[in-house]
Amino acid sequence: MSESVLRLENITMQFGGVVAINDLTMHIDQGEIVALIGPNGAGKTTAFNCVTGVYEPTNGAVYFHDKLIAAGHPQGKMKRMYAGTNADKFVGMKVSLTPDRITHMGIARTFQNIRLFKSQTAFENVLIATHLRRTSNIFTAAFHLNYKEEKRNRDRAMELLGIVGLADVAEEKATSLPYGMQRRLEIARALATQPTLLLLDEPAAGMNPQETIDLGLFIQRIKEKFGLTVFVIEHHMDLVMGISDRIYVVEFGKLIAEGTPHEIQNNQAVIDAYLGGNDE
Amino acid sequence: MRKMSKLRLGVCLTVVALLYFGAWYAEKSMGANLGQAGFMLVGAYVYAVFTIPLKKHAAVYQYYNGGIIQFELPLIVALLLAGIVAALLAALIGLPVLRLKSDYLAIATLGFAEIIRAVVQWDSLGPITNGSNLLKTYPTFNNTKIFGTTVLFPFIVSGVCIALILLIINSTYGRAFKAIRDDEVAAEAMGVNLFHHKELSFVISCFFAGIGGALLAMFQGTVQANSFKSAMTYDVLLMVVIGGMGSVSGSVIASFLYIACSEWWLRFLDNPLTIGSFNVPLLRSGFRMVVFSAVIMVVVLFFRRGIMGDKELWNIGMRRQKAGRRARK
Ligand SMILES: Nc1ncnc2c1ncn2[C@@H]1O[C@H](COP(=O)(O)OP(=O)(O)O)[C@@H](O)[C@H]1O
Ligand SMILES: [Mg+2]
Repeated sequence: MSESVLRLENITMQFGGVVAINDLTMHIDQGEIVALIGPNGAGKTTAFNCVTGVYEPTNGAVYFHDKLIAAGHPQGKMKRMYAGTNADKFVGMKVSLTPDRITHMGIARTFQNIRLFKSQTAFENVLIATHLRRTSNIFTAAFHLNYKEEKRNRDRAMELLGIVGLADVAEEKATSLPYGMQRRLEIARALATQPTLLLLDEPAAGMNPQETIDLGLFIQRIKEKFGLTVFVIEHHMDLVMGISDRIYVVEFGKLIAEGTPHEIQNNQAVIDAYLGGNDE
Repeated sequence: MRKMSKLRLGVCLTVVALLYFGAWYAEKSMGANLGQAGFMLVGAYVYAVFTIPLKKHAAVYQYYNGGIIQFELPLIVALLLAGIVAALLAALIGLPVLRLKSDYLAIATLGFAEIIRAVVQWDSLGPITNGSNLLKTYPTFNNTKIFGTTVLFPFIVSGVCIALILLIINSTYGRAFKAIRDDEVAAEAMGVNLFHHKELSFVISCFFAGIGGALLAMFQGTVQANSFKSAMTYDVLLMVVIGGMGSVSGSVIASFLYIACSEWWLRFLDNPLTIGSFNVPLLRSGFRMVVFSAVIMVVVLFFRRGIMGDKELWNIGMRRQKAGRRARK
């Protein structure tokens, strides 16, 4: 039996009166590539934000390697406003870790709207992401007593840039790079945190068909190389169908289908809601 | 002699600007530290209180029976202590405030600066702070000799401060501070604990503010709480803005220009001048400040990112070299 890496239980995220995710239950196993698809505004990014600690779920629980990393239940004003289900199931459970803690545990992410450190070079962007595994403190770091670790980190950052094919532009300002490169740089930066689970939010957005194909191969390659489990949000159906082991489909925050690419392609609800509606 | 003291003033304020410098990391993400003057006051008092020679206590603390502190510390120890006490206070203030988002730090530090000024003048603290009376007779720039000369000391201290700040900036922590400034959400997602790092950068900047205050005390020869007004914070802020947020060399250059403008180059504007029989208009006492303000406006308007932006003096040449090398490839 394969081991569960990430498990979402009845996650509901409500902003004021807007239910962005409604009772989402899903799981991702060791070594899988799992895709989350759905129309714009379906709540996919919000799901990522609940996993990574940006939001505390209004209701539900998230487990990472069977360890509770986020949990919430309707409280205060939300008790009255709550429009989801299972309001009683998680009473008494409340866990909210800051995003850095969760990254520390081994979940790294990229952002849909690229968020690189804009005043820094590509190399520095990756190097910053090695900071969280430091053993130095402010004194040893300032006086360069951590030079061994520093050198190791620099080498690793450079190696990661090489892996994503950005070694040549290491010294360029991150934001001066073309779009496709910035997306790959975000992946390199996420990898530098030494994750076991990688969350990619629309990594192919803005890429041309050839770049998208390359990206698919690339995701599979890094998955093998770093022993990752991958959770990806994506709109390019060729990419999703090509690399995913399993797919979850959400619409208006609700899960409408789950299965292998083959099953999803032949699922009437999905075709109606999404595949048929979109151009692909 | 006069010129010499101006030079020292220049160096001293350079240091002060630098001291402020630590805070720039935080500027965008946690709001400005508007309590610079307050932390400098703490540094100045700590330094002065602990270095007044024992035999002068009776004279200095004449209204408080010679004070209650019956020992004196070596100059360097007192200087360090000035920084440490300011840093500890910063840590205490940061603890509740930095957990909040937005600009509460600006408000809290501004409040701190006002309160601390009142507190040290409080009569019950008189045996330590001498109430609202001057602290004096502690070692100053004029009698602190290194290798037989009084010129070196401020240069050495500012050199050490600059070196320390550069070391911190170029360490992994400096990079994390910069990351927070660039994008808080991304920094946090990359595992940088926001609270911890904000607190750290705030404490570091206040450590240097404390030392800056001590140096100011050494320069002035006397310390009195009322001279540490908010205007001092704004002077320092201006230097950093003019120099370029995030550039050490920019801050140094700016503070030299600032001092030079306000103290030397624009002096003539304050004196009525008659060329032949023509009485040059406008030149009278106070006009200097008008021109000075105008100059600053021009800098702020046309050099939005300061003289140096976020580049360092020594990086400008380097970037060019790199660009050149790339072009040749
Ligand atoms: N912080 C927020 N406050 C209020 N509404 C939000 C917030 N974040 C997301 N939403 C809403 O949640 C819904 C889902 O958004 P999102 O998760 O970004 O969709 P997707 O990534 O699937 O395109 C949208 O209607 C959006 O407006
Ligand atoms: Mg999205």
